[in-house]
This record gives sequence, C-alpha cells and structure tokens, in this order.
Amino acid sequence: MLLVARKNLFAEKTRLAISVGGIALSVFLIGVLLSLFRGWSEQVGSFVEDVPADLWVASDRATDFAAAGSLLPAFLEGALERVPETDIVSPLIVRPLEMSKSTDDRDDTFDVQLVGYDPKKALGGPLRVVEGKSPPGPGEIIIDKAMHDRFDVDIGDRLVRGNKSLTVVGYSEGGDFIYTQVGHVTLDTASDFLEFDQQLRTFFVLTLKDPSQVDLVAKRMALLLPGVKFIPGDEFADDTRDRILGNVLPILIVVMALAFIVGLSVAGLTIYTATVEKSREYGILKAEGFTNPFLYRVVFEQSIVTGALGFLVGAALTVLVAPFAQNAVPQFVVFVRWQDIVGIAGATLLMSIFAAYIPIRRLASIDPVTVFKG
Amino acid sequence: MSEPQRSILKLEGVSKTYGSGELSVTALENVTLSVNGGEIVAIMGPSGSGKTTLLTIAGALLRPTVGSVEVCGIDITKMGESKLAAIRRDKVGFVYQSFNLLAALTAVENVSLVIHKRASNGRTPPTDRALEWLDTLGLSHRANSLPKKMSDGEKQRVAIARALAKDADLILADEPTANLDSKRGHEVMQLLHQKAIELNKGVIVVSHDARIRQFASRILWLEDGTIREHE
Repeated sequence: MLLVARKNLFAEKTRLAISVGGIALSVFLIGVLLSLFRGWSEQVGSFVEDVPADLWVASDRATDFAAAGSLLPAFLEGALERVPETDIVSPLIVRPLEMSKSTDDRDDTFDVQLVGYDPKKALGGPLRVVEGKSPPGPGEIIIDKAMHDRFDVDIGDRLVRGNKSLTVVGYSEGGDFIYTQVGHVTLDTASDFLEFDQQLRTFFVLTLKDPSQVDLVAKRMALLLPGVKFIPGDEFADDTRDRILGNVLPILIVVMALAFIVGLSVAGLTIYTATVEKSREYGILKAEGFTNPFLYRVVFEQSIVTGALGFLVGAALTVLVAPFAQNAVPQFVVFVRWQDIVGIAGATLLMSIFAAYIPIRRLASIDPVTVFKG
Repeated sequence: MSEPQRSILKLEGVSKTYGSGELSVTALENVTLSVNGGEIVAIMGPSGSGKTTLLTIAGALLRPTVGSVEVCGIDITKMGESKLAAIRRDKVGFVYQSFNLLAALTAVENVSLVIHKRASNGRTPPTDRALEWLDTLGLSHRANSLPKKMSDGEKQRVAIARALAKDADLILADEPTANLDSKRGHEVMQLLHQKAIELNKGVIVVSHDARIRQFASRILWLEDGTIREHE
C-alpha cells in the first residue's frame, strides 16, 4: 500500500471508524438478510425434499405442497400401484388451516399444515419422531417440535378447530415451514376432521423400483393419466419454496439494495470529505510532480482498505451474531453459506470502487497552483 | 565541482494573460529571465505584481500565453501535463511560504516521499537519503516528528530538505521567510544560499522581505507584470 494512502487513512481514526462502521453495517445487513433467505429457503423446502419419495402426484392445477390445491380420486392409488415401475404408493390428505389450543382463547390461533397419511405405508408421515407415540391413533396428532417450542403445545394438549379437536401424542422434526408446521394424523382422522370426501385425496407419494428412471416414468405416467402431474421431489420442493418465498424475495432484494446504498453512501461521503479536506495536500503532491494516476491510486487504496476492513467486521458480525439471533427468535432461521460471503465480498469491492469514483473526479480537478496561495 | 554557467532556467518574452476579452488580466508581460547554476535570484515586488505567476510558470505548473520556457535546456513551453509533471518531479524543488508538508507524514517521510529512483541514484534507499538531508539541516532529532509537533522554522527546514533531497536543479522558493521570525528567517535563507552554491542549484526566491537581499546574486523587481533589474 502507498505510504500516503496508509498514513492519511489511519491518521483520522474517527473518520476511518465511521467509514468502516458504515460498510460493516451494510455488510452485516446484507449478510443477515441473505443468510435469513437461505435459512428459510432450506427450511421451507426441507419436508418435501426429505420425504423419501421419488415422485409426488398432484392434480394438474396444483402448484406446491404448502397451498395443497390438489384433488385426486382415491381410486388412483390402485391405478398407480398397477404401474409396473412403482414400488410404494401412499395417499396424502393435506390442508393448511388455523387451530388453537383447547385451553386458549379460540382467536389465539396458529397455522398448521395438517397431513393425513397411511401409517401402514408411512411414506409422507412424520420424518423423525423425537418424543411420544407413533403412529398416531384415531383423533390423535403428531406435531412438529417447532410448534411445541413456539406455541407451547405439549403432548396431551388438544388442538381445536370449530367443534372438532385432535389430541397431541408426539413431536416430530423436519416439518417446520417457519410460518406453519406440519401435524400428522391418519388418513381417516384427516377425512373426518376436515370433513373431506372419503373418495378424494390431495397427493400421492410414490417410490420407484428403479429411482434412476424417475424422469422417464414420470413422463410415461403423465401420458397415461391426463390431468395428473408427476413431479420429482426436489422439483416439488422448489415449487413450494417459490410459493412461500416468492413474495418475500423482492422485499429482501430491496432491503439488501438499500443496505448496499447505505454502505456506499457512508464510505463515499467519508472518503469524499477526506479528499476535500486533503485537497491542498493532493495539490502539493501534484506540484511535486506526482501524476493524477498516482493520486487516484492513493484514494482508491484508501477506499479498498476501508472496504476490506468493513467487510471483515461485517462478515464476522454476521457469522457471530446470526446464531444468537436464531436462538432468541425461532423464526430467525439463518444459513450462512461461504458462497454468499464471497458474493458479499464482491459487493463490498463494488462499493469501494463506487465510493472512490467521485473523490477521484475531484482529484482530477485540483489545481496545483493553489498551493502557492496562503 | 560547481558549474556556475550551467543554464538552469530561461524565460524568453513570457507573458501570461488570465481570462479573455474585456475581463482579461495580464499577470506577466514580456518577461525575459535566466538563472544559472549556483545563482540565487531574488524577485521582489508588491502584492499582485505577478510574482506567483512567474514562479508557477518557471516551476512547470502553468503554461505561458506567449513566450518560451526552458528548464535545464529542455523547452517545456508546449509540453503536456504528464511531461510537465515529470519535469516538476525531476528538475524542480519547491519551498513554500506555508511549508506545505503533508500532515500525516513524519519529517523523514515528507522528505523521502519525493525522492525518486533517479534522485537516489540507486545507491541509497530514499529513507536513508532523507535522513542524511535532515541531518545536514540539523533536524535528525525531528526525523520521526509530525509537522504539528514542529516549530515553523523546523517545518521550513524540512521543506528545504525536501526540495534538496529530490536533487532538483531548480529551486523555487515562495516567501520562504514570511511565516518565520527574523532569526529563523535568516537561518533558512543562509541554508538555502549555502546549499545552492555548494550543489550548483539555480534558485529563485520570491519575497517581500528586504532581508533576503544579502543572500541574492541578483535582485529583480517585478511590478505590473514587467520585470527589471533592481539597483
């Protein structure tokens, strides 16, 4: 680093702290928001992804698991079982709904993604039961542990909707969608509780004898059964993510852009004011024979070092603070990826380059003759 | 060995006009001046007489409107900015009225900053060379001091060390004693005089201060942009 750049930068410690702080805040905000988005993205798609099914079967207009806007005839189960490539076919009844604890006010509701499954086949059932009994019996429900943590729902509690209720008999993991959690019941309980037509199902999940043929089988079955969609698990998980996060993403992008502008503004203003204050000294350097490119390098190096320090502080804050926030607020699910950190480093570099742009233009206009005045 | 007749600066019929039309102001008019090695030329005159304009043209900071300028035999009249910067870097040393040291740099850093490879002749590292000059000017104890910790006299001696350390042939001093008391002013001029003779530098000192006369080889009077020998 050039001597003048280093000395000027570290001579004004308060200004340096403001500049580094501004960039660090920006990096921290971008880092947290990006990690939050990654965390949510991981979380909301994980149930669909973790169900060990090769294909999800839904009606043609269905978009995703969360909306569960699919209706299929129950007899489709037999038809699917007769396809030679299928191994297990399991029906699901899925509905998003609001429930409350029987001991709480009826208006004190929370979201539940009710999943009715066939305990004999288990496919689509609770992913990991961590406490209580499984499978659930008639009128019983296994809730996700996140529901227990967030809404104080315990084993033995009754969850109420209208004049019907389900008794909590266990906790499972892997069904947390942040804004809602899955609750597993048997197919019959789901039909009864939702007053769902006995001849209808929401989805079918199926495994194949040869999972490597999944695309081929999906295409073939779609031809055989018009009006029915056959979707690979990871694709269905992505559709679910898009459904839930599609509305959040533009907001996150706007807030991240604002954070970028805040960092850029603070760094740009402090570097600009430093350049203006030192313009006489830059004039001296010009008079002494230093060229504009040398002076640009001085400002550019100051900007890059400020950016690098801001990035290090901001990235460290993101990595250190985010997990604490997650402990304090369960919905604050973060997932810090190294690729995102590299991306933020790139954004900080851009910030530093832009922050140096106006001061550099200012340098070009400094007339060295002015150093003879006063 | 000194080379007293070496031409360091030659101005031929130099005029400088700022602005154009009715608002134009002529700062210098048909100025012819030459400075040789080992010579100290004092330029005196009232405020607004064109002294600073003359200094900046001689120092390759400003181009004349009319006339020609040669520094060490190189015609710089029509040079582009990057070549003028190279002339300033290699051939010209400045000593300013307000010292113009960089505030964040120590004395030795201020001096070593302007020493280029050519000036250090590849023999001595710039910092060592700067220390040698500070020592020569009696400032070795201030080598690591920041300008704000130094007296005005010390600052001006650092500025002279900076001008000499870059091994420039032409030294241009703008009111070098204006901010100093008479004792410090005398010391600074004595030093400048001594080093100019010793190192065969051409020196122009622009000043209102009549006390600089005793150190000058020639005294020129500048008034209303025109120059004449002072009796």
